[in-house]
Amino acid sequence: MKQTSRYPMRRVVVAGALLIAFVAVFVVKLVEIQVVRADEYNAEAEQVRSDSRTVYGARGDIVDANGTVLADSVMRYDITLSPKQAKAREAEDPGQLQRNATELGAALGIPAEHVLTVIEQSLAADADSDFAYLAKQVDVAAYDRVAALKVPWVYSQEHPGRIYPNGAVAGNLLGWITADGEPAGGLEAAQDQCLAGVDGEVSSLHSLKDWVDIPGTERTVKEAQPGGTLQLTIDADLQWEVQRILAARVAEVGAEWGMVTVMNAKTGELIAVADVPTVDPNDPSSTDAEDRGSRSFSAPFEPGSTFKALTAASVLDAGQADPTSGVVAPYRITPGNADINDSDYHDDERLTLTGVLIDSSNTGMSQFGERVSDQQRYQDMLDFGLGTESEVGFPAEASGDLNGGPDYWATDDQTKYATMFGQGLTTTAVQIASAYQTLANHGVRMPVQLVRGCEHADGSVTGKPDQTPREVVSAQAADQTTAMLERVYLEGWLADQWNIPGYRVAAKTGTAQVADGEGGYRSEYLVSVSGYAPADDPQYVVSVSIFDAVTMNSSAASAPVFRDVMSQVLKKYRTVPSGAPAPELPASW
Amino acid sequence: MSAVPVQTLPAPRRGEPAAAPARRLRLVPDAVRGRKPRIAYAIIALGAIILVAAAQLVLSVAMTQGAYELDSLRVQQTKLERDRQIVGEELDALQSPQNLARNAEELGMVPNTTPVYLRLSDGAVLGQPQAAGGGAAASGPLVPNSLIADVPLVNQPLAGDNASGGAVTEPPSDADQPIVPPGALPTPDTH
Repeated sequence: MKQTSRYPMRRVVVAGALLIAFVAVFVVKLVEIQVVRADEYNAEAEQVRSDSRTVYGARGDIVDANGTVLADSVMRYDITLSPKQAKAREAEDPGQLQRNATELGAALGIPAEHVLTVIEQSLAADADSDFAYLAKQVDVAAYDRVAALKVPWVYSQEHPGRIYPNGAVAGNLLGWITADGEPAGGLEAAQDQCLAGVDGEVSSLHSLKDWVDIPGTERTVKEAQPGGTLQLTIDADLQWEVQRILAARVAEVGAEWGMVTVMNAKTGELIAVADVPTVDPNDPSSTDAEDRGSRSFSAPFEPGSTFKALTAASVLDAGQADPTSGVVAPYRITPGNADINDSDYHDDERLTLTGVLIDSSNTGMSQFGERVSDQQRYQDMLDFGLGTESEVGFPAEASGDLNGGPDYWATDDQTKYATMFGQGLTTTAVQIASAYQTLANHGVRMPVQLVRGCEHADGSVTGKPDQTPREVVSAQAADQTTAMLERVYLEGWLADQWNIPGYRVAAKTGTAQVADGEGGYRSEYLVSVSGYAPADDPQYVVSVSIFDAVTMNSSAASAPVFRDVMSQVLKKYRTVPSGAPAPELPASW
Repeated sequence: MSAVPVQTLPAPRRGEPAAAPARRLRLVPDAVRGRKPRIAYAIIALGAIILVAAAQLVLSVAMTQGAYELDSLRVQQTKLERDRQIVGEELDALQSPQNLARNAEELGMVPNTTPVYLRLSDGAVLGQPQAAGGGAAASGPLVPNSLIADVPLVNQPLAGDNASGGAVTEPPSDADQPIVPPGALPTPDTH
């Protein structure tokens, strides 16, 4: 009990309290470090000790209907340098700069002066500059050559790139990737959601001395995800052949540009969409900016006489005529306020509907067209897919312009009649192909398809196109139109220029003007041929348009393209030649 | 333990001479001698510690060794992947339609645009046979492909004297002829 008196209870309590408080401070701090701010500190420590690198999620391929790769992801390298170090080295070892610049220039295929200019310019901008691009997106071979030089002030960094193995084949559709990795135009831009990969990140600890990863320390910060594979309905081989045929003809007739659309008549799938000039996506800058897209989708034009087939189908569908119904077609008629004439002067002719199509008579077609109400004609146009963008949804796709519809047509007779033979309204090449697909497919329109779908890394497929058929005109009306177009093919003025021996073909020519975008028309003409074969069981639709054929400003410019493309299509898909001859239909009465 | 027997002893009587306690002393039994520390335990314990340390050292060395091996294999893998990419890109360029077409043209081939079919069931000829039109325009520049600019044509090594390539008139060299052994032609042995 003596001890208790020596250390009174109060002091014990105070000492104990102090001790507890002291321990409590540590506990609180410990909890704060280990629990509350653990993530923060861990991350900070990780940053100091570990080395993280990007794992690139490769951009998905674009493949054609048969799996041929049209756009492929590759690894490219950006070559960079440190201007500051280059200068410092030069001070130590005079002459090395010139020597290394020459070697680098040779390795990269650029002039040595360019290397020196890059260094000088960066140093001029910032005397302490430690980073400048020497070359972007060089291929592996060039990278290896540069690496072999072992220039101490030259570095490289990975930079995913894109190549298009088939060059300009379908370049109009694909678009391209800029040097900065951004999709530009075409499907690269439109389908970026499918194609784009997600870059991942991996971190690991490494030895300080030689930068070797310490086993077991590799940690995936973020999983890389490759992009999906985009499959098109395009056939690359056919696309190439079509582009070749069209390019040869465009050059031959001195045209400004041309378009060919090949479509599967049963499914509405686009098998080839050629635009000339075509961009080579590997080198987009070598093509003029306005030629880098696809005019087939984006450039609306007045279809002209190819449109008469649609009006004829509307008239037949409404039961207002049959292929042998007759009218008297003069050179000029003036219904209401309209003034309509044919392209060349002729005396009054007694033409059947078939004959109107064969002679491509505007006055004759007007007399048939007015038998159908404007409302009905307009509805048929919409059902044919005119006046709205196609289901493809191509970047900058045009809708075409039906010039106001029946309400406006009622106030303007010229427009009312002009729209019967394809003037006063605009369509795209793809829309015309789709309308002919409807006629070929017994009056049933299939949605236009360019993309089959996007296959993701896990095997799932998204973005499958809509395949809902739509009956536009009756099968009888469509088949009668086909029979009439066969007579056009056999008896029209181009009969000997587009003849494809062994096959029955339905086709129609057209000559039209193109809107200049400022309310008027350009003075040059767009000459076209649209048709399908074999007419006894239509399989393929081909639509050809050539703009401003200087040496031959008529449909004769596009007829050989139609013939060559169609026979190539029929040959490629092993289409059995037609057996029976085309049915006879009188052209006059 | 030792206190218990003491308690059982009778209390010493006063005035009585103390009994000789020597009689109660005896040696510590042998059992205690039997519990002496065994050296084997120490050896086992120490041995285990040394073993663990050694194993750790060996594993650590092996792991370090493995890290370097892994690193060099990774470098090799990167190199091989680059090689694969170079070859893959070359192959892509070679199989592009532009390259195939210009090679075919160089070898004198022309496309025939009018196919003819023979129906096997009745031997009917479908379509109208026509000779292929020669002199098709060179297709190379029509559909450009900047990737094949440096790719040589398939027959370039021997095209020196026939640059146009329009007509392949060279007689086939002996190397192209099938080697026919003298005497009877070889026939397959069938039963």
